[in-house]
Amino acid sequence: MHLAFVGKGGAGKSVIAGTLARVLARRGHRVLALDSDMLPGLTLSLGAEAPPMPPLLDAAERDEDGRWRLKRGIGPVRAVQRYSTGAPDGIRLLQAGKVGPDGLPPIMPALRAYYQVVHRLARARAFSEWAVVGDLPGGPRQAAFDWAPYAKTFVLVVEPTSQSLLAARRIARVVAQRPRGAVTLVANKVRADADVARIEEFLGIPAAVVVPADDAVAAAERCGGALLERAPGSPAVAAVEGLAELLERSRLQS
Amino acid sequence: MKIVVAGKGGAGKTTVSGTLARLLARDGEDVLALDCDANPMLGVSLGVGMERTDLLVAVRQAVDAGEAEHQPTVEGMVETFGTDAPGGVRLVVASRIDRIDPGCP
Repeated sequence: MHLAFVGKGGAGKSVIAGTLARVLARRGHRVLALDSDMLPGLTLSLGAEAPPMPPLLDAAERDEDGRWRLKRGIGPVRAVQRYSTGAPDGIRLLQAGKVGPDGLPPIMPALRAYYQVVHRLARARAFSEWAVVGDLPGGPRQAAFDWAPYAKTFVLVVEPTSQSLLAARRIARVVAQRPRGAVTLVANKVRADADVARIEEFLGIPAAVVVPADDAVAAAERCGGALLERAPGSPAVAAVEGLAELLERSRLQS
Repeated sequence: MKIVVAGKGGAGKTTVSGTLARLLARDGEDVLALDCDANPMLGVSLGVGMERTDLLVAVRQAVDAGEAEHQPTVEGMVETFGTDAPGGVRLVVASRIDRIDPGCP
């Protein structure tokens, strides 16, 4: 099960991705969480710590032309062993890097290394039995620039707003240009049946999972903690458990 | 005045920018609204409408497709690539990512 979460910023990608990763780990999957967002997100919703500088900085070297690349001899297995950090429930978390006060330049080597790691990971057999849960920044940019080559399923998270719908349709069109990669639609922050109908009609695909608008999610986001710990019995967590079951079933069928 | 609105996705940048542009225009300012998001959405909060926002000409796409000559001046860009939004605001969309093109973050 190799997933990449996409959608507009603020749609709820990270919260659902982080919660799903934890749920999958508790259901016995080996989980690799991939965080390519340069702003905080997945790390927080997993309930993990962000290191002050990305560990992948140590995995980068300059090539003959002075450009950053992944050090020779580091494959995806070694990259995950050395440069991922631990998250609750035994999850391994590989982060591209977070923007600090000096912007992107200090983390550029780590971003280049990350990009090459995920491209090799997409071809590696070592992770074929793992649940890989990637969280992309909002919008179509990283999907278009091939930052989730590992993804067999793009989980498109949409809330019932005009902006979220427009962004989702653009992202779905980008994903459709890939040689592989199905879309699983998650309708998030749903308050009424009409919300689901609007999302499905606009995108032309059925919602695989409906996550109700849930004050527990808003409260967890205010605190910055993992939803699974802040509100284990909430309707949103129940919906994510439903998503985990659905993904397990579709994996068995494929 | 020249204002840049920034923040995390979903925080409300587009809504604040669009509303601010309309209010400034209402106060009599000449307002140029620049949508520099790779996922341009400012038209929605300016009141252009959802589908029209999706179809607005982006500078880069128009030039790449040979539909428009690149404009060497700011005035030319605003004239050639701009759209009239409600309330007298002029809207220019810089770019729109809509196809696969491996590369930068």
